[in-house]
Parts: sequence; C-alpha cells; structure tokens
Amino acid sequence: MKNKPGCRLKGLLKTATAAMVLGVLSRPVWADTTLKVVEVIPSPARTALLQQEFASFEKSHPGIKVQLTSLPWAEAFEKFLNMVQAGDTPDIVEMPDRWLGLYANNDELLDLTADFKRTSSLANLSDRALQFGSAVRGKLYEIPYGFYVRGLFWNKKLFAQAGLSAPPATLADFVSDAKKISAMPGKYGYCMRGGPGGFSGITMFMNTMDGQPGYFHSDGTSTLSDPGAIQGLQLLATMYKDGSAPPDSVNWGFNEIVAGFDSGTCAMLDQDPDALIGIAGKMNADDFAVAPIPVGPGGHAYPTLGYGGWSIFANSSHKDAAWQLLSFMVSPDNNLAWSKVVGTLPIYKDAEQNAHFQSDKFKGWFTELNDGSKYVLVTPPTYLEGFGDLYDNISIKTFQQVLLGQRTAKDVADQWASYLTDQLKAYKAHQSAN
Amino acid sequence: MRPAFARNPLGSGFAARSLRRTAEPWLYLSPALVILVLVLFVPLVIGISYSFRRFTAFRSSYVGLGQYRTMLHDPALGQALINTVWWTAGSLAFQFLLGLGLALVLNRRFAGRSVVQAIVFLPWAVPSFLAGLTWAWLFNPVIGPIPHWLYAVGLQSQPRNILANPHLAMWGPIIANIWFGVPFFTITLLAALKSIPADLYEAAALDGATVWQRFMRLTVPFLAPTIAITVMLRTIWIATFADLIFVMTGGGPAGSTNTVATYIYVSAFRAMDKGYAAAVAVLLLFLLVAYALVLIGMRRRLLPQ
Amino acid sequence: MIQAIPLRHRRLLGSAGLYVAVAAYVVFALFPIFWTFKISVTPTALLYTQGATLWPGRTTVQNYVAVLLTTDFPRFFLNSVLVSGATALVVTVLASAAGYALSRFRFRGKQAVAFLLLLTQTFPLVMVIPPIYRIMGSLHLTNSLSGLVIIYVAFNIPFATFLMQTFCDGVPRDLEDAVLIDGGTRLQALTRVILPLTLPGMMATIGFVFTAAWSELLFALMLIDDPSRMTFAVGLLSFIGKFDVDWGQMMAASMLGLVPACLFFLLLQRYLVEGLSAGAVKG
Repeated sequence: MKNKPGCRLKGLLKTATAAMVLGVLSRPVWADTTLKVVEVIPSPARTALLQQEFASFEKSHPGIKVQLTSLPWAEAFEKFLNMVQAGDTPDIVEMPDRWLGLYANNDELLDLTADFKRTSSLANLSDRALQFGSAVRGKLYEIPYGFYVRGLFWNKKLFAQAGLSAPPATLADFVSDAKKISAMPGKYGYCMRGGPGGFSGITMFMNTMDGQPGYFHSDGTSTLSDPGAIQGLQLLATMYKDGSAPPDSVNWGFNEIVAGFDSGTCAMLDQDPDALIGIAGKMNADDFAVAPIPVGPGGHAYPTLGYGGWSIFANSSHKDAAWQLLSFMVSPDNNLAWSKVVGTLPIYKDAEQNAHFQSDKFKGWFTELNDGSKYVLVTPPTYLEGFGDLYDNISIKTFQQVLLGQRTAKDVADQWASYLTDQLKAYKAHQSAN
Repeated sequence: MRPAFARNPLGSGFAARSLRRTAEPWLYLSPALVILVLVLFVPLVIGISYSFRRFTAFRSSYVGLGQYRTMLHDPALGQALINTVWWTAGSLAFQFLLGLGLALVLNRRFAGRSVVQAIVFLPWAVPSFLAGLTWAWLFNPVIGPIPHWLYAVGLQSQPRNILANPHLAMWGPIIANIWFGVPFFTITLLAALKSIPADLYEAAALDGATVWQRFMRLTVPFLAPTIAITVMLRTIWIATFADLIFVMTGGGPAGSTNTVATYIYVSAFRAMDKGYAAAVAVLLLFLLVAYALVLIGMRRRLLPQ
Repeated sequence: MIQAIPLRHRRLLGSAGLYVAVAAYVVFALFPIFWTFKISVTPTALLYTQGATLWPGRTTVQNYVAVLLTTDFPRFFLNSVLVSGATALVVTVLASAAGYALSRFRFRGKQAVAFLLLLTQTFPLVMVIPPIYRIMGSLHLTNSLSGLVIIYVAFNIPFATFLMQTFCDGVPRDLEDAVLIDGGTRLQALTRVILPLTLPGMMATIGFVFTAAWSELLFALMLIDDPSRMTFAVGLLSFIGKFDVDWGQMMAASMLGLVPACLFFLLLQRYLVEGLSAGAVKG
C-alpha cells in the first residue's frame, strides 16, 4: 500500500473513532439520572452551600440532576427511619455517626471500599477518617465529612472575676475552679448536660478519670464499671450536689447548656466546634476561648470524637453517579468550605494549616488532635445496634437518677456496662454468623 | 301536595319504604364512615396487630402475647400510668372549670366582650410543640421570668426551674396544657349556652329563682350533653397527648413526667420496638374505652332523656 | 351577710369581680403569646443575655423581614391555608350529615358507629403512622396536599360528628316534622331548618377543625418531603437546627402563623355571639 491520501484519511478516521469510543467509555453518558440526596442536619447556610455544590456538579455532569431533601433535625431520625421502612430510600444520605450502626448493620448501606480505592482525588484523606468510616465490620460504609472533637469552652470574664487566669489543666483543677466560680452568687462553674445528648460527655469524664480510653476492655467487657470510671461518674454527681452546676441542669439539653454559657450563668462547657456557630452569634468573641479537655490522674484526657458523613444506599439504582457526586462533595476544596460553614474539623491531613483554623478558638481542638501522647480520641461504639437506645433513652433517665441521689453511681455505671457488654456480644455473634 | 315518599324512585311499597327507612341514616353516615374506616380504622387494626410482634428497626417476628407479658413486669410502665393519671386529671379539672367559668362570663354582655372572645381562642391556635417550647422558655430561670416571680412572691427559696424538680416537674406541662385547652371548653360550652332559649331564664327569674338555682336547674341540664362529650373527648386527647410533655421535659427528670403517651413514643422511636409500643397503646386504648363507657353510663343514670 | 349589702353595690361588686376575673384570664392567655412576640423582636445577640427581661433593650424587625423574604414561609402559609380550609369545609359537610343521622335516627348499629368514632380517638397517632403511610403510598397520595387533607378529615370527623350530634339534639324535632308534613324532604329539613339553628355549634366546629389542621405537625412532617408542599407547622420545625435554634425567626413565623387562625375566628365570631334568633323556635 502506497501513501495515498485515502489511506491517511482512513487512518485519521480510525484514530478519531478510537478516540471517540475511548472518550465515551471513560466518561459515561448520564442519561437523565436524578440523584436523591437527603441531609438531616440542615441549616440555611449549609443547605445553600450544598445547592451551590450541586449546581456546579450538574454543570460538569450533564444529564444528572440532584434533588435535595432537607429533614428538620428535631425529627430527622424518626422521619428518615419512617421513609426507609416504607421503602422510600435516597441515593445519598447524610449519616450521623450514631446512625451508622443501625443502617450499616442492617445492610442498608453500600460498601464504598472499592470506590474509594480507585478515586485519586480522595487520596489525602486522613487515616482517622478512614478508620471511622469503617467502624462497622471494617467496611467503608460512610465517608466522613468532618470531625467533632470535644473541647472545653471557658468564659474568660467569669474566670477573671473568680481570680483565675487560665483554664483548668487537670480534672482536679476543673473541680476546684468550678467550685470557686460557683461561690459567686448566681454563677456556676460547669454547664452540666443532664438532659438529652449528655452521654458522650459523661463517658468522657469517666474514661479520663479511669485513665483508659474507650468503652471496652480487650476482653469485651465494658470499661464503664471500672472503679476509676465510677469515680468519674461520681465526680459529676458530687459537682452537681455541691452546687458547682446549676440545679436545673439535671434536665439541660443542648439548647439549655448553650443558653447557660452564653448568658454567663455557667463558666465552662464541654462541646464540639459546631457549637461555636451558635455561641459566636450570641456572645462577645473576646469573652470566651476553647481549651483542651482537662487531663485525669494519669496525665491523659480522652475527648470524644464524633463525625458525620455521607453514605450511599445499597439499593440505589445509580450507584456510579452517586459515587461521583459523593466524592465531589468530600473533595478537598469542597470539604474545606464545608468545614467552615458546618463547624467541623476537616478530614484531610494538614487541615489546620488553613488560616481559618488558627484562631484561639480552634487551638484547643487541634492540640487534642495533634498531641497523641496526652490525648487519645474516643469514638462511641456506634456500630452497636442498640447504642442509640442507651444514648438517647436509658442513659438520660439513669444519669438524672444519679444526680438526684436516687441511685448510686456504681449502680448506674454497672447497668450501663452490662448493657454495652451484652450489645458487643450480640454484635460479635452476628458478625461471625456472616 | 304529594307526600314525599311517593316521589321516591324506589317505589311506594311497604318493603321499599322499610328499606329506605333503614338505609336513610346510613346515607348520611356513609361518606364520613368510609373515610374514617379507610384512613383511621384499618391502620388502627394494623397498629394493634403490631402488638403481637417484636420489632427491630427493619425486621419483625411473631411473638404472640410476649409483649403483653413483658408489660406486666415493666416498672417504668407502672410509673407512667400513675403519671398519666396525674397529668390527665390535673389538666382536665382546671381547664374544664376555667373554661366553664369563662363561657358563663362570655355569655353575658360586657364592654369589650368581642375582643376578649377573640383573645380567648388564641392559645388553641398555637401548634402544641411551639406552646411547649415557649412555656419551657418561660420556666427557665436563665432566660425566662416565671422562676423570678415565684421567688419574688416567696413561693420558691431561689429562682429555679420547676421542670427540673422531679416532684414539681409535672405541673409545668399541666399548666401549659391548661393554657392550651381552656379555649376548647370555653368555645364549645359557649356555643351550647347560646342555644338555651333566653325566655327560659326570664321565666325562671320571674318565678323568683336565684342565680345559683337558675344555674343548677336550667344551665347545667342544658349543658350536660355538651359537657359529657367535651369532657370525654378532651380526656382521651389529653391522655394520648405526648407533644407538650416531650418538648418541655423529655419525660424527665428521672422519668417523673413520663406518661403512657410519651412512653409509647420513646418505645417506638428510641428503642425501636413498635411491637411493645403497640402493646402499651392497646392497654391505653382499653383504659380509655372503659373510662368512656363509665362516663356514658353515669350520664345515662344522672340525666334520663 | 351579702344580703346586708344593697343590691346596687352587690351588682357593682359583681361586675367589678367579673372584670377582674376576665382581665386575669386575658393576661394568662396572652402572656406566652406576648413572650413569643418579645422574642421575635429581640436581636440575636441579646437573646440570652437579656432573656428574662420583659422587653429587650433593642428591638428589631429583622426576623420578620427574614421570614417573609428569605424563607419559604409564604409558600408554607399558602399550603396550610389550602389544607386547613379544605379540611374544615369537607369535615363540616360530612360531620353535619353524620351528626344529624346520629341525632335523629334510631337504627341498628348506631351504638357501633358511635363506638367506632370513639375508638379511633384512643390510639396514639404515632402508632398509626406506618400503616397510614403505606395506605397513602399505595394510593399515590404521599407527598401531596390532598393526601394530607384526607387524613386530616379522618382525624376530625369523630370530634366534629359528636359535636354536631349534640347541637342537633338541642333542636326540637317538631321543626323538621313541620317541614316533612309540608311535603319537604328530610334533606331540605336538614339544610333549611336544622343546620341554621345549630349555627353557633357548627361555627365552633369549623373553627376547631381549621385550627387543628393548621397546627398539625406529625403527619405533615412524615408524609411530605417536597419543600414546596410543606405546611406551616413543619416550616416552624425547620428553624430548630441541631446546633443553633433561630429563635427570633421561629417566633416571628409563629406570630405570623397566628394571623389566619385569628382571622378565621374573627369571621366566625359573629355566629357565636348570635344566639337563637327570636321567633324561630315557636315559628
């Protein structure tokens, strides 16, 4: 065959066809796909950010439409459960850490391990993020979008008035500082959370006093009935009895502790970075700061770590498109913007280099994140199916009974411990059966 | 003029008339009944059937009477039942008496009556969870006025939130419920009062009856059917009403404001055992039906028609 | 003792007592609503620091502006008006008919019907959500306002029927017998004679049903996902974030939410004040 123009044209055609085919193969054509995304902790700023992200995603992926449903947090758990039970499942759902055990253990979620491995944009995800996303059976059922780490908010003004210049470094300091502040009329040292949502804070004190992180010993029994842990629970009860916490705090939930802190009624509050959003609007920025959690007798502290993330439902009919969207939502740039709006700590390594996270508000949390020798972060065992009942129901009533002196700390701690031990046994049995 | 029945398409025979007579009430009833049966009764039966099963979030298994047996040994349920009696009796008594008093007052002419009448209705127009939130705010000494007033008047040694006191906590939702429920009684009783012919009162007054006698011999008998039905309905509604309590105290502290209704909610959505919640609901159903039957029996005996 | 006080003074004391009692109740009824209003005009920064005072140091209309202009509240409002209005209308028609039947007829199954109406009130609504959801789903009525109307109608029928029965009972039978003897149908008797005489009761019923539908939260929340179909109560709930409750806006929206119920009730007031018009009874 001589180099005739016809031959060259044929060659060009072949190459063009090959390129087109390759192009089509590597960039799937989305034919009118609608992805349903459900968020469960909405706020106006956050929903707006999501809509923005979705708009730019839709532009770069023509054919895909994203439909966002925002459930009011106050009833989100019940409503979402209702939806799933009735078969009305989305493609992507926001998965708070405490829901993961329920949905993952019941095989409602997709294992994202393979998808994650082949997505280069997420390569810099921190090990912690991967670890927590794989909490259930070691499979990546959730990609976390950020961390909530417990820190100690303290009121600089009240401390100064009580003659204290720095936040407490140890638990002993914590108790005595609270007492000093409570000596001032109408003021209290600690905004105790005796109502809903207090359990992780309580166990944090128990762990710290006990000198052991985590909810379980290696043999599967719970740490909560250790003598040190019981002392930790007793510490809180004694503070309440001595008047270091407001008497009404036996019933305080999130709104009340924040109201107590903002109004200058109580001087210390253990909370996560997302509480900053609510507090910053209502309090003078110079009046408070965030310190690491005080260390226990062993010189360690065990702040709780929580997270939220995104999961894909196993019965989604658009798994590929859903992964595209999810990986876009948690990509480094989007995640940074997200963290600023939502108030979480970002999931990538070297996150705190960003200027936003360098104020004295964030110092406490990053100290905890970075100083592994002093601070071990504890995640609650959200992989246990019955953990939600303990957290949202059983623990509240029983903790209040301890505060009110109706039951002893040992009694209640033992009850929690045996509940958790049984839950873990059931979980392991279920695992080995699979 | 031709009698009505002759125009009826079913004909004028005796059988046709009989059929029409028995069918007639059902014609008036059926639209309401159809919707009721489809939307409420069938789900109610299904809901009751849950009580024979044990649920986890996504699975269920048949357990016969197992849930009921568990109920018998549940101390929290016992406490909830006692709390429910307090909750229902306390709320009902005050809102009924206040409502009746207010209705009687509004039945008389006085300056500004129409304004007052409009204001009376307002609490009922507020969504119950919002009422709960507002009252919780009012009772909170950090951000609300009531504890400070109680302290100023000497009822409390220091401004404290009664919602945090296990002995007093129930009164918080009760007061909120009274606030919420008075309009219901006021307006229904006022409407009933309006249908008492005025000349009866005039005649009685002319006969020399005192205000009290007029009230007891005229007003009460006329109001009795309305009172019976509103009290019965409102009691049932209060007993099954969880919103206010849940929003204000969450059932605490230490379960002191946990009623059967809040217990059902918690069992269904926290413990996620719809079966147990259904069993407790069936218990509540029996209790309320028994209560209604007693009330109807009492009414029959006290006021023979 | 009381007899010793001259009648004139007794009457004065009586009316003074009356006014005091009325004033006391008005304060009790209005105070929480006043509080809601107070919070709605309090700037966020002062919310907790000046929480317990009777009036904030600075006021703002920002919350109202935000609710009306930046949120979907006008939409939620409209949806609620539609749903509540439709519910009130349908329930009135159905319950008047049913209440009349229970009042006037003696028939087999009457006890059963009354029992059925009562029974449906005794089961907590929380428990019937899953079955209702499934039924509505099979009828393709989830996520729709008409589905919500149907559910609300069902909820309100027992109460409205009982009320209408009671009010129908209060109308003497001879009135409709007169119509029937004159050759009218029963339906004419019902619509032309009985119902007008039960007007105060009917108006009370309509008012209650409208309000009940307006403030209902649970079913509106569970049934409807589409933000363009959400109702007012669900909209209120969305102000409760996990970490930040926007109290100012929530209370502003609540105040706005009171308006339709108030208006509705003001309209109905006229009928509540009118009693039986003279002459109709002995007609």
